[in-house]
Amino acid sequence: MSTTTVFAHKVIVFAWVEDGRIHVQGSFGSNRPIKNCVIQVKRPGGILIHQAITDIKGLCSFDLPDHLESDLIVELNAGPGHLGQWTIPKDELIYEVSPEILEKKMIEKQALEKSPSPTRIATGIALIFGLAFVVARVKKTKCLKTS
Amino acid sequence: MHISEGILSGPVMAAGAVVSLIGITAGLKKNNYDQMVHVAILASVFFVASLIHVNIGPVSVHLILNGLVGLLLGIAAFPAILTALVLQSLFFQYGGLTALGVNTVVMAVPAVLVHYFFLPLLGRTSRLTFVAGFLAGFVSIGLSSLLLGVALWLTNEDFFKISVAIILAHVPLMIIEGIITGFCVSFLLEVYPEIIPHKKK
Repeated sequence: MSTTTVFAHKVIVFAWVEDGRIHVQGSFGSNRPIKNCVIQVKRPGGILIHQAITDIKGLCSFDLPDHLESDLIVELNAGPGHLGQWTIPKDELIYEVSPEILEKKMIEKQALEKSPSPTRIATGIALIFGLAFVVARVKKTKCLKTS
Repeated sequence: MHISEGILSGPVMAAGAVVSLIGITAGLKKNNYDQMVHVAILASVFFVASLIHVNIGPVSVHLILNGLVGLLLGIAAFPAILTALVLQSLFFQYGGLTALGVNTVVMAVPAVLVHYFFLPLLGRTSRLTFVAGFLAGFVSIGLSSLLLGVALWLTNEDFFKISVAIILAHVPLMIIEGIITGFCVSFLLEVYPEIIPHKKK
């Protein structure tokens, strides 16, 4: 279960193999599932091998493809400009991951879905004011020099 | 509204970077010392507004408030929006860093346009101030949706279908942002008129 998740306005895609089926879950983070959106499963090189739609919980599952000779790329299109991607390595398609690893990955997924912490928001605002302060100082210095 | 990594073609990203660079340079040049605090406040508003989400069908939209930022800052909206977008990308994983130029253009160009269209209407009457604020919020989201469609079309997608889909998905947001911007400018004009460019004491 590699973590090549790509975010687009935070589109989170998570895919895993369990009981001979591929399970995919899409969310915008903060427990907001991506409903009724197209999931495409491709081989490296862009060859489409399966297409499905997420349900109201943002989930969909389907049987493993017949030929497991390469990694699979799971793409979720959540509207124009919003694309999420997950790669399932070939090894995980052939040998299912242990429940312990699956549980660990689920914890990792939950961490990704969390809303930004107040600390991050505060840091962002502080950085904005810090940058504004620097620009203001530069402008003031330039004004004093010219006058 | 934030375009991610891997969506746009190289020439589109390069064009976006050039246009945004021109806008940022002009914005920084025109900014004066006194205006910097307003730039910082409105950049912070833009940065935080993206955390407020509205689910519409399968699509999740979030507040942008580029109309409010543009209406009050004019060309200085370019550096304010760029700074907020960089931080949104780094802290919230919204949009890709390589698409930063295009994302800045998509959100800042409409913001600057509404400044020139609707700023002269502010402060004439309270009703006209609200209407100008509403239109600034409404139109800026509409134009941003259109620019987003153009950016995707230039990356070889069906422009008409995509633009219509994007604009339709953003109609509720256009109304919400219109109302918020209308109330914000009406309130600011009452309590802090110095933030309105032509209402300085």
